[in-house]
Amino acid sequence: MGKLIAIIRREYLERVRTKWFVIATLLGPVMFLLLTALPVFLTAGTKATAESSNITIIDATGADLGPRVVAALSDSAGARATVVVVNANESAAAESTASRAVLARQREGYLVLDSRTMLGTKARYAGRNSTTFRDMNRLGRALDKAVLSQRLERAGIDITTIDSIMRVDVALDKTQLSEQGREQSGAGSRVLGLIVAFLLYTVLIIYGQTVLRSVIEEKATRVAEVVISSVRPEILLAGKIIGIGGVAITQFAVWILGSFWIGSNVVPMIIKSKAIGMSAAAADSVTRSNEVLTSLPTLTVGLVLIPVVFFVLGFIFYSCLYAAVGSTVNSESEAQQAATPVIMLLVLSAVFIQPVAFAPQSTTSVVMSLLPMSAPIVMPMRMSLAAVPAWQLAVSIGGMLVACAAAIWFSARIYRVGLLMYGKRPTLRELFKWLRYS
Amino acid sequence: MSELAIDIQGVTKRYEEHVAVRDLSLQVPRGAVYGLLGPNGAGKTTTIRMILDIIAPDDGTITLFGKRHTDAGVLDRIGYLPEERGLYKKMKVRDVLKFLAELKGVPGAEAETRIGTWMERMSLRTPERDWGDKKVDELSRGMQQKVQFIGTLLHDPDLVILDEPFSGLDPINAQALKDTVVDLKARGKTVIFSTHIMDNAEKLCDAVCILANGRKVLDGAVSDVKAAHAGRTVAVAFDGAPTPAVDAVLRNRNLVANMDDQIRYLELELAAGASSGELLQQLMTAGATLQRFERVQPSLHRIFLEKVGATGVEAGMSGHG
Repeated sequence: MGKLIAIIRREYLERVRTKWFVIATLLGPVMFLLLTALPVFLTAGTKATAESSNITIIDATGADLGPRVVAALSDSAGARATVVVVNANESAAAESTASRAVLARQREGYLVLDSRTMLGTKARYAGRNSTTFRDMNRLGRALDKAVLSQRLERAGIDITTIDSIMRVDVALDKTQLSEQGREQSGAGSRVLGLIVAFLLYTVLIIYGQTVLRSVIEEKATRVAEVVISSVRPEILLAGKIIGIGGVAITQFAVWILGSFWIGSNVVPMIIKSKAIGMSAAAADSVTRSNEVLTSLPTLTVGLVLIPVVFFVLGFIFYSCLYAAVGSTVNSESEAQQAATPVIMLLVLSAVFIQPVAFAPQSTTSVVMSLLPMSAPIVMPMRMSLAAVPAWQLAVSIGGMLVACAAAIWFSARIYRVGLLMYGKRPTLRELFKWLRYS
Repeated sequence: MSELAIDIQGVTKRYEEHVAVRDLSLQVPRGAVYGLLGPNGAGKTTTIRMILDIIAPDDGTITLFGKRHTDAGVLDRIGYLPEERGLYKKMKVRDVLKFLAELKGVPGAEAETRIGTWMERMSLRTPERDWGDKKVDELSRGMQQKVQFIGTLLHDPDLVILDEPFSGLDPINAQALKDTVVDLKARGKTVIFSTHIMDNAEKLCDAVCILANGRKVLDGAVSDVKAAHAGRTVAVAFDGAPTPAVDAVLRNRNLVANMDDQIRYLELELAAGASSGELLQQLMTAGATLQRFERVQPSLHRIFLEKVGATGVEAGMSGHG
């Protein structure tokens, strides 16, 4: 037991102490911050939103539509639109003046309102930002609002009434219903599910390869023989997998907890600071990108425990296979080729991350979440997206336990023979013989 | 308490294409320095690995200090220096040694004290420099070998197994190893050497076992082995080059079975039925001017060649030693 602990401690400490580990561990949550906060930054802090009000409105309607548009725009802060009221035949001259102002970068663009606008069919805009979706969307809504309010006024409705009628902003609250009646907001859990799946995939690949390299190092430097003259190869293998798995869980824990902390503290802070002095429309857009964050399911024990359980089982399964591969080769360059079947299993599972995320209850998703090779990646994601029947969870975990037992049996046998074999890589036939050695 | 450090009875190890060790029995008394000799591929390393329970024999039993070699705790009493040496390159010297000691059941604090003593003894820690905090791959090859010796001996084993210990050693480390072996013997420890360099074995070993093709060719105390083969070897040296007449005597197969030119003298093995007196008489008759004519004990090397011959060496292709 003391020897097993010595091996675990060596594998763990020698890795956790490296600069690479510290950097990668701390960088994880920072990457998460960038991935979540960057889009918020980009949508919230864009100059274009404020600048989009800096336009000339050429009003050839003769019905004071221009000021109404300005009013609609200035729902948001800092509207700087100017209205030029013209007759229909002066419109062309006003346009050329306005376009000069745009070219001189005094204005962002100009909007032409005419009789067709009054009919609610057409208005023209020319400007630098005419391809900016958000700006055009905002301008369009302001126009609609202006035309509508004018019509209401013409219909003889009192201005204050119009104001109260027009003040509409429905926020769509999305809620998912399942057979179990569990309700969850869609967007947040999808993001969470994808993050968890990719995290599991990444960690399995990285730390599976770490086990592989560790086995090869001991074999290539011939330390292996000294070590197994003191402990049984099975103990060395177990210590190695537990030690490296511990490193992975440490990193995993820092990543998850760090990301949740950033998600719940830092990101809202940034959003808040950005929201001050922001136009209503801009704030609205922030709210929407923020929705993903706020609708993240609250951090429950189950939500953390499930990925950890699947990670542990998946790691045992894959690292055993990696260790077996490592013991049959002589160098890292040989290992890349020999490890291909194992990597294929992992990549194949990763290919299904997207399809499962968008159809978590499809037959493919169910099958992939039950197969031991893909369950550790697919099942935690499925569970965060949809209600998974208990029997499926049981089959998935049971299958993984059986697969782990098989992988341990298989790799322990290959490992103890392979560790002392140098030279030519064994053929499949020879590997089967190794399995039968005592 | 058993008087034997190692008792191997009828051990056989078969591989797919060949038998590495065949019905091997040998006994190593406590406190002995024992040589396991043989050409490459004779089965030395396989035997050692079976003693260490790295591989399991197909037949036979191995007893260490009166206990089955698979019993708990037995391996902790053995120190092993494999033929192919290596350490964790990226670890600090002190950490590697502590790890190796812990694998043998030495508690951490105790290990640290011993490491300090050994590092000083092997001049890896001097008042000016301490190599203990360096990574293994920052050390020279010679120093790495010292670290490996320390790792082998740190847990104060009762039985030390050294597989081809002198291969790749510089003269200084070779001397250090020799001194260490002498010291171990003085403290009543048992040492097993495997080597194909007979001179080392002859100088250091109390007893030897010669293996060839996985079989025991002979074993026993070095003095007994030599005595058993004595009387058949004569060392001869001449003043100046031998005349054709003398040469003819030396080439007479009825007198001399084998001649080995040692540069300064010739080592002759008498043919069956021939005596040293007869050889001396013939040489005198041929007019030889003798500088030396002496019946000598054969070297282990000689005995080895005689016993194993060319046939034993041919199996050197297998990597299992």
